[in-house]
Amino acid sequence: MKKSGQRTGAQALVEGLAKAGADVVFGYPGGNVLDIFDAVRESGMRFVLGRHEQGCVHMADGYARSLGRPGVVLVTSGPGLTNTITGLGCANMDGVPIVLVCGQVPLDQIGTDAFQEADTVGLTRAVSKHNFLVKSADEIPETMAQAFYIATHGKPGPVVIDVPRDCQRALTAAKHPERVCLRAYHPEVYATPREVGRLAKLLNEAKRPVIYAGGGVIAADAAGDVTALAHKAQIPVATTMMGIGSIDERDPLALGMSGMYGAPAANIALSEADVILALGVRFNDRTTGFSPGMSRRAKIVHVDCDASSINKNVTVHLGIVADVKDLLATVDSRIRPAEHSVWAARLAAERAADEARNPRPCAAVLPTDVIVATDVGEHQLWAVRNVPHVYPRHFLSSGGMGAMGFGIPAAIGAAIARPGHPVVALVGDGGAQMTGEELAVAVEHNLAVVFVVFVNRSLGLVRRMQDEEFGGRRFATDLVSPDFVRLARAYGMKGVRAKGVESLPSALARSLKSKSPTLVEVIL
Amino acid sequence: MKESIYRLCCYVENKPGVLARIVGLISGRGYNIQTLNVGPTEDGTVSRMKIDVLGSERVVNQIILQLRNCVNVIEVTSRRR
Repeated sequence: MKKSGQRTGAQALVEGLAKAGADVVFGYPGGNVLDIFDAVRESGMRFVLGRHEQGCVHMADGYARSLGRPGVVLVTSGPGLTNTITGLGCANMDGVPIVLVCGQVPLDQIGTDAFQEADTVGLTRAVSKHNFLVKSADEIPETMAQAFYIATHGKPGPVVIDVPRDCQRALTAAKHPERVCLRAYHPEVYATPREVGRLAKLLNEAKRPVIYAGGGVIAADAAGDVTALAHKAQIPVATTMMGIGSIDERDPLALGMSGMYGAPAANIALSEADVILALGVRFNDRTTGFSPGMSRRAKIVHVDCDASSINKNVTVHLGIVADVKDLLATVDSRIRPAEHSVWAARLAAERAADEARNPRPCAAVLPTDVIVATDVGEHQLWAVRNVPHVYPRHFLSSGGMGAMGFGIPAAIGAAIARPGHPVVALVGDGGAQMTGEELAVAVEHNLAVVFVVFVNRSLGLVRRMQDEEFGGRRFATDLVSPDFVRLARAYGMKGVRAKGVESLPSALARSLKSKSPTLVEVIL
Repeated sequence: MKESIYRLCCYVENKPGVLARIVGLISGRGYNIQTLNVGPTEDGTVSRMKIDVLGSERVVNQIILQLRNCVNVIEVTSRRR
């Protein structure tokens, strides 16, 4: 008998989603999660059915990266959950907020090897920021609020909530908390006045300063603040792959991405600078582990909201645990306008020479507000150098995990998050065969995404490593790939073929005009 | 780098899964726990863990910072034994 204020745990859970501002759920149903699916149906919330749970998580990831709000995933127990592990790991490494709800066998069957049972909290511990096992329907409202809080505060990340079937069905009158109070988790961090003073002094006295902007700048929505500081003190800006969009690439102070596959001007700046202001970066081995690498003489100031990332890979002169946006606002009044004309001119000349050597015909046909999602491989590095980078949250790529299969679903998630924006997925024929099944979702929702598949019938980047490190003994890197044009048509979308990268710009321009899902196969 | 035994003292929320999370964070990085002692404090909702690990100062400091990032960890201190 239902008393007033009571509803099922599943209904309370969906209320929690709505209360947190979720408007889309990505997922895949199964036996142990059907009560929550029924509550989603009843709520009228938009639901996007993926074709594989890995794709569902990458879609939520693309949604979250492009919008700056947590993505929501709903899957079933057992194989539904195990299929999400790659997606969770990818979001965890890159600090992307996701709330993943998963069904579980009833409480009294946990640990009995029941049908479609898996140890969700055990499996997801290493690939999530936090996880919960719900033990009663009464816990659900508070758990939902905590999950969204944890996913979005401090360094963002995925949070998993495991909900046994009986808890979904039980009635509860528990109310949603007005505010979240976690006893042991207090991610608010602030720089001390002394740290702010030391930072200002270093920057004001620098002769060859450079800002090195990473994913933390994007996550903190601080791209505008970074650009303002760069302009005020005339400091050039290099980025990591995750930090692309921290400054408009058309800005004279923008140097591009640094690292093994980066822009020469960015690498020169980092190797010759006297002060490096590193904002929200991890000093990943892709950037620091190559020659010429980071200057050993430079004074490095590292600002990050995660204390454990400071002095992890590189020992720094000054580490500041703070939110990048807060810190830049605090230090602004202490920074004196400056010129570094010789330094800036040297880097601008490097940049101009690089641009003259590497024309970008594809960037010319892509609108500046295009959102690009890439997969992982040679094309990913090509994409960094060949698409426009004007706004933050417009370049989506699996940076830390390097998860193949990210590109197609992430582009779909972005198209759902930001309707009206042109969205392009750039993928290789390897990744396209990992999550190509999600093309059906683009057709089902008639999303105007252009999927570009570069077909070289091989795993190009891995093959390159075999050539360089294994004396050219190529093995298991040749692919038999389908005819992607016919595959696209089989899914009910347009398919066109471009012969070589040189015919890609015209094919892209035509496809972007069509406003419906299109696949462009580029034969290399 | 010189390795020593460090004793970590963690105050954590007394909830299922917390021990596994903390042990996993240490062992997942390839470090062996030499001694582990877990018990309640006067406040029944808080447990105290004493963990001895062999490692360099740099690695142990890294582990401490990552432990502090855990949602259920209230406080971590360490001393060299």
